[in-house]
Amino acid sequence: MNSTIIAQMAVSGAMMGLVYALIAYGFQLTFSTSKSINFGQGELVMLSAFFSLTLLNWGVPYWLMVPGGLLFGVVLGLAVERAGVRLALEQKSEGWILLTIIIGLLGFSAAENIWGRDDRPFPTPISSDALHFFGISITPLEISVAVGVFAVMGLIELFKRKTLLGKAFEAVSADRDAAELMGISATRTVMLSYGLSGMVAAMAGILVSPITTVGPTMASALILKAFSVAVVAGLESGFGVVIVGIFLGALESLTSFYLGSGWREAPGLILLILALAVRPNGIFGKATIRKV
Amino acid sequence: MKKTLITFMLMSMAATPVFAADTIKIAITGPFTGGSAPMGGSMRDGAKLAIAEINAKEGIVIGGKKMQFEVIERDDEAKNDRGALIALELASMSDLSGVIGSVNTGVVLAGDKHYQEKGITKIITPAAGSASMTQWSKAGVPDLSIFRFAAHDGIQSEMVVEEAINRKLNKVAIMYDSTNYGVSGRDDMMEQIKKQGNKLDVVASEKFNIGDKDMTAQLLKAKSADAQAILIWGIGPELAAFANGMAKMDMKIPLIGGWPLSMSNFIDNAGKNGNGTLMPQTFIEEPITPKVKGFIDSYHKAYNVERIASPVSAAQGYDAVYIFAAAVKQAQSQDTKKIKEALEDLRDPVEGVIATWKQPFSKWDPANEQTHEAFRREQVVMGMVQDGHVVFGNDADRQRLIKNAAK
Repeated sequence: MNSTIIAQMAVSGAMMGLVYALIAYGFQLTFSTSKSINFGQGELVMLSAFFSLTLLNWGVPYWLMVPGGLLFGVVLGLAVERAGVRLALEQKSEGWILLTIIIGLLGFSAAENIWGRDDRPFPTPISSDALHFFGISITPLEISVAVGVFAVMGLIELFKRKTLLGKAFEAVSADRDAAELMGISATRTVMLSYGLSGMVAAMAGILVSPITTVGPTMASALILKAFSVAVVAGLESGFGVVIVGIFLGALESLTSFYLGSGWREAPGLILLILALAVRPNGIFGKATIRKV
Repeated sequence: MKKTLITFMLMSMAATPVFAADTIKIAITGPFTGGSAPMGGSMRDGAKLAIAEINAKEGIVIGGKKMQFEVIERDDEAKNDRGALIALELASMSDLSGVIGSVNTGVVLAGDKHYQEKGITKIITPAAGSASMTQWSKAGVPDLSIFRFAAHDGIQSEMVVEEAINRKLNKVAIMYDSTNYGVSGRDDMMEQIKKQGNKLDVVASEKFNIGDKDMTAQLLKAKSADAQAILIWGIGPELAAFANGMAKMDMKIPLIGGWPLSMSNFIDNAGKNGNGTLMPQTFIEEPITPKVKGFIDSYHKAYNVERIASPVSAAQGYDAVYIFAAAVKQAQSQDTKKIKEALEDLRDPVEGVIATWKQPFSKWDPANEQTHEAFRREQVVMGMVQDGHVVFGNDADRQRLIKNAAK
């Protein structure tokens, strides 16, 4: 009984951890190209989820809603880049920090006014009836989260490695100035990274909504964890977030089982402090040497 | 904004004569938008239905003159500061006969002191936690103009424990949210278990936070301790997370708890996993008597709905207005202080949809809040979620209500 409990807790937690990882991946995408991140990323998750729900309510079938929701995420990502990040980066200022927070707050109030403050169910054709493997219950819905996370991350990584545009992306990440000298437009690449990051946020929203319900505050807890995952894994490491995400998720559930649910958030925070103290570039991050 | 509001308030005060001769001014306040809107909105609609009925008949005859009710509506948005501002505004009206409303304990705690200060009669309905009344008994106020028309937490926890005992269960798990509401609910349930003969063994007592989505840890504790029922005290979508988690882990045991389990954010978010969940209710949307049928039909017709968002709130709003109207009639005055005295000593029974109210309130005694509480155990029934509706949980309750109505 005891080992099944541990396994059950670890599996349930790991599934949530994958969602943290996906959102953290959105942070990484923009950080690698522009050294900036969208502090309103949680609001993108939430707004995309609300938009997707609206599509469903209009009678759009589920599988058509998914690309619609993702497209909306891309548009939001581009809007954030244009309104909050581009000018600040051009002027080499840190204004994007405040601007992305403000845009996020705007998005939050917009959602409250358009869709209200209620938490709403998000219908999905994927069953939530439990399947049992070796005494562990897991729902197809949770499996779909895992599949979705790996699919979207895999596709983006493939895109970065196999296409010309993707290589430009990598080039700007590696060295912005050198890439510009090679004729790659850094501005466009940053745009691309924000678009992709918005899409990833939308994906996270669509995947997690059937489990967490949709409401203006749905992402506020997720985003903090995702941030921890991104920092602990390192803001430059692609798949490191997956490992750290799964680990953190499992650790959280085990903590809340053994120490009580009040301590649930503690391991993530301790991990964050430890990571920053011991490996400031993240467990999977590369130490960057700044040549002056 | 604040300045214009104050000017506006001053102007409206100056503009209205001290006693508008032929109307009885009654204010309805509550959250009509936001998360608590199903309760606030249904209460308002139920209350306005009652007012429309009274006005359509002949109003209330005071000194041979037919008086109509005039409604003032204020949306507190479930925000404490809004609630305080509204109370301040209403309390400054010299010709206000009374106030009906409130859902959120915080709003009540922030606002009611203004009514009490001016001696304005207020009936709290459909909800608000125990603190809304105990704040006055603790302060020992000698005279109180606040009444409560809601099944208080004490009755609810008594019924929850009773239900588990009636089902011949021995081991239960208690789950509660980390808010004041949740923690005091747990204390109430523990006390009731002791009071009702210690027949239940609490094998797990677990807390959860507002916003938690994954209740696997709490449920596994209950499961591994072989709990036969989950007694739960919380508000909102976290309750649905429990129902969904129980389905996932194949825990086919009853989920019993306070009345938030009857709200749409539980019923809709839990879907079919919510079926069978039990909670105390003051009203079930089932036409068991002609009176109840009449109310349900006219509500559906007036607001063009097929289902009342919160039947309990609608019925309480409706009955509260009739009780208030009876007090106005007995007092033969629109003066809020005289209405208060009449409420404390209602001579004629008031026929409502929940029950026939005989002397619902009595003279305020700071040592006993029950004097200003209308609900007793017998007016409350056990409700059960079934396919998106709340139905009677025990047929005995249904029969009892039909029999009471026939008397």
